[in-house]
Amino acid sequence: MRWQSRSRWIVVPLTLIILLFLLFPFFVMVSTMLKSGKDVYTVPPLWIPTRLMWSNFIDVWVQADLARYFLASLIVGLGATALNTLLSVPAAYAVARLRFPGRKFAMFLLLMIEMFSPVIVIISLFKVVASFHMLDTFGALIILDALFTVAFNTWMMNGYFKTIPKDIEEAALIDGCNRVQTMTQIMLPIAVPGLVTVMIYAFIFAWNEFLFALTMMSSKNKMPLTIALYNYVGQYNTQWQYLTMAAFLALIPVLVLFYVIEKRLVAGLAGGAVKG
Amino acid sequence: MSETSLSLRQRIWNPEARLAYVLLLPTVVFLAAFMFYPIIYVFVMSFFRTNKLSALTKFVGVKNFIGQFQDTEFWWAALRSLIWTAIGVSSKFLLGMLIAVLLNVKYRGRKVARMAFIIPWASSVPISALLWKLVYHPDFGLLNRTLSATGIWPNPPGGVGAPIPAFAASMWVDVWIGIPFFALVFLAGMQAIPPELYESAHMDGAGSWRSYFSITLPGLRELILISTLLSAIWTFNDFNVIYILTGAGPASTTNILITSVYIDAFVERRFDWAAVQSVITFVILSIVSVIYARFYFRQENA
Amino acid sequence: MKKSILFRLGVVILLFAPIVVWSAPKATFFWAGYDGLTEDFRASLESAFNAQSTDAQIQIVPVPWDSLQDKLNTAVAGGAPPDISVVGTRWILDYMSTDSVVEVAPYVSKATLDNINPAAMEAKVKGKLMGLPIAAGARILALNASITKEVPRTIEELERYAIRFNRPPQHYGLFMPGKEHTELTDFCYYFYGAGGNYFETLPDGSYGKCTVNSPAGVRALTFMAKLALKDKVVEDNFTTYDRIHGHPLFYAGKIGYVMIGAWVDSAMKQAGATFPVIYADIPSFAGQKQAGLIITDSVAFFKQGQNLQAAGKFVDFFYQKQWKGKFDQLIGFPPVTLDAAKDPFWNTPLYKALNHAALTARPWPLVDGFDTLNHETWVACEKVFQGQATPQEALDAAAAAVDKARGM
Repeated sequence: MRWQSRSRWIVVPLTLIILLFLLFPFFVMVSTMLKSGKDVYTVPPLWIPTRLMWSNFIDVWVQADLARYFLASLIVGLGATALNTLLSVPAAYAVARLRFPGRKFAMFLLLMIEMFSPVIVIISLFKVVASFHMLDTFGALIILDALFTVAFNTWMMNGYFKTIPKDIEEAALIDGCNRVQTMTQIMLPIAVPGLVTVMIYAFIFAWNEFLFALTMMSSKNKMPLTIALYNYVGQYNTQWQYLTMAAFLALIPVLVLFYVIEKRLVAGLAGGAVKG
Repeated sequence: MSETSLSLRQRIWNPEARLAYVLLLPTVVFLAAFMFYPIIYVFVMSFFRTNKLSALTKFVGVKNFIGQFQDTEFWWAALRSLIWTAIGVSSKFLLGMLIAVLLNVKYRGRKVARMAFIIPWASSVPISALLWKLVYHPDFGLLNRTLSATGIWPNPPGGVGAPIPAFAASMWVDVWIGIPFFALVFLAGMQAIPPELYESAHMDGAGSWRSYFSITLPGLRELILISTLLSAIWTFNDFNVIYILTGAGPASTTNILITSVYIDAFVERRFDWAAVQSVITFVILSIVSVIYARFYFRQENA
Repeated sequence: MKKSILFRLGVVILLFAPIVVWSAPKATFFWAGYDGLTEDFRASLESAFNAQSTDAQIQIVPVPWDSLQDKLNTAVAGGAPPDISVVGTRWILDYMSTDSVVEVAPYVSKATLDNINPAAMEAKVKGKLMGLPIAAGARILALNASITKEVPRTIEELERYAIRFNRPPQHYGLFMPGKEHTELTDFCYYFYGAGGNYFETLPDGSYGKCTVNSPAGVRALTFMAKLALKDKVVEDNFTTYDRIHGHPLFYAGKIGYVMIGAWVDSAMKQAGATFPVIYADIPSFAGQKQAGLIITDSVAFFKQGQNLQAAGKFVDFFYQKQWKGKFDQLIGFPPVTLDAAKDPFWNTPLYKALNHAALTARPWPLVDGFDTLNHETWVACEKVFQGQATPQEALDAAAAAVDKARGM
């Protein structure tokens, strides 16, 4: 599209400026994670440390045994994403394409869940999890993280499904597919950008979740990364260089995931599912 | 096919409805098992006095609610919550939309830009809030240093010590964290708009602005409604950012409803007051949702 | 698409399998993440005990310090508390009011109890020991000796020296946190220094109405406001700084006098500070008795814990010199056990000063509703610092709020 190539001249510099502005704390993070304790508490602060403390990485990775926390976060993150997708996609399809009594009520109910902050329900949730004997299990975090994102994801997929014209589906139904097949083989492939958004949201929520992890987990091997990071906030002193180093390391999987999935964001109706 | 011509029984048992219930069943089962008791208990607590362990002690009816409504601090917190939500959501929306439009244009290296914009969202909220606390630090933080050294702002405010800077500073952090979400949702939504619409508009002589307003925005209508509604709910209840940056201070001047809920529940150990505030929050958010629903379902039935 | 759905389904099922496997019961100990404590130490303590014990096993749960109280309160309220946990001794009264904790004596050996320094036994309530001391530290005044060498004998002298050595923006005379943090300091230092009491004592020995708005309280808060707003000897924008964000100013060499605790030495090492330091008692107002602040943490035993006997055996193991002594050295707090105190490690100026301050220091009031007192008094201080109220008005409001919360 010719008009697009001309606008590139405005878009790229503008994007660069906005990103520079937006990523300021990220630059601070990168600057701080290589500082020694002395550099962190220098007035006025420096962008470039006087000594690049690459040893901070070793201190954080080895001493805090970060790999184990990474693994725990990965299990919870992937599990919650999987569970969430399995729950919200069919629910969204039902709400988007099928007519049934209680449809509006179901959508409102999902919304209602979001209106209660974890802060007020945490004690009751603890009791519920304890009653299922699921304290200190990955399952508890996976389920809770999935449940707290299912509302948005169902609404999001619902909105995405609705942008797909009905005739595509009708054609498939006439061809002999049943409803479930149209959902998985026709709608989902077209709705991939929406699906990608939903999965990223579920993953990021689970990867970064702190309160449930803090409350429900006791075994060190099962504690996610968010707790490990918070260990650097001491009672009297915060170890900023280690905190930022660990936070940087915790960012990497999210960015990698996004890099891998980003391609799918561009898919669309042009994906070839539209029959002439 | 008019719905009202079938009886309720027929509508429940027809194959379409039955499939819908089956598809919804797993979600309903999980939600009922885990969330039913906690949410009901919040409502119950608001009508009782509770002890320090959040157990019920005495039924007091609506006395808790009356007590809250008589407390001026409650009204201030509610007002601040509304301001916080209104400004927060609109800022996130506008900036997110801007970034989505920018990221939708093809150019080499766009992949890197797309990866970069997700960074504010990619860390956990408490950690991002802590990082910003360091950034905002008057002495050790690089923000004030950079602003004064580059001459952009020679005398920046010394941190979050006063009510207005504290509120503004935390609001910016909340917006900062929320922008990628909107950008991602809109970016994904823009992919569903057929490129042919843009091409034919361009051939008709429409410029970028016109095609944006007549094609992109209407195409994103559903997503705009959903994302702003959900963001409003989340922003209203965003506890971590304010509490970590300002502790609801100074002198409770940045206290919003959700920080009030936390302080009542975990500091003062008055779970009944916290429950009342949560119920009131629920009512406010429900009213907002109902208004949204009218817009949303109006288009459906059209 | 179908294959990946099946795959995901398989992953989900696999992840639920571990739920069915239920591990054997162990005693649980909520371990507070004190600054200086290493994960190594926790892990080796845990495995050492479990290896040498046949009938008792322990699980030491590492918890970040800031989040400990919330996690513990949720577990207690949720009916599944740990067997033992590190607690601030001041929290114990709250737990007693809901009958959540039990006496320590039935679970630990007499040898362990006898080895505790009697001066540290803050958690003795009505003759019963409700928590075993684990860490105790008095607060002291630290001087950046390259800025000032004058040790004040009264608070008024401190004010004079702070004015004399105040050289903004190069360095400031005195550090004062102006923003609420988890502790009621620095207000408490000035309050005790004015001879104040947080509560009136009723004839039967229990606490009555809150007296933070007594003349002593007003005097303390007025003095603090004077230092900050009129004399201007404290750091710029002092209302931005809570303790954890402000004390590094001292380590960076920007503060002459700071009221601080046992962690100052290790914190300074971490921050690479090299200037000489002098330690002294926190002075009181002229004519008042010397009265600093001493804070202890304890190990509390929770009533609904499932393995209290095992937890007790662990405590006996932990409190031996080779483990507890190392623990104390890591966190930098003077030992509460008699045998560990004899180690030459504690023969430094800092610890001499801490021990000296401990002789005249007073603890927090052990009262139900301490967190409310903490929060409301801080709100009062902040109001005064923001210029929104006079000290008397603000403290009156705080006392009223505390009384309301305690039902007085």
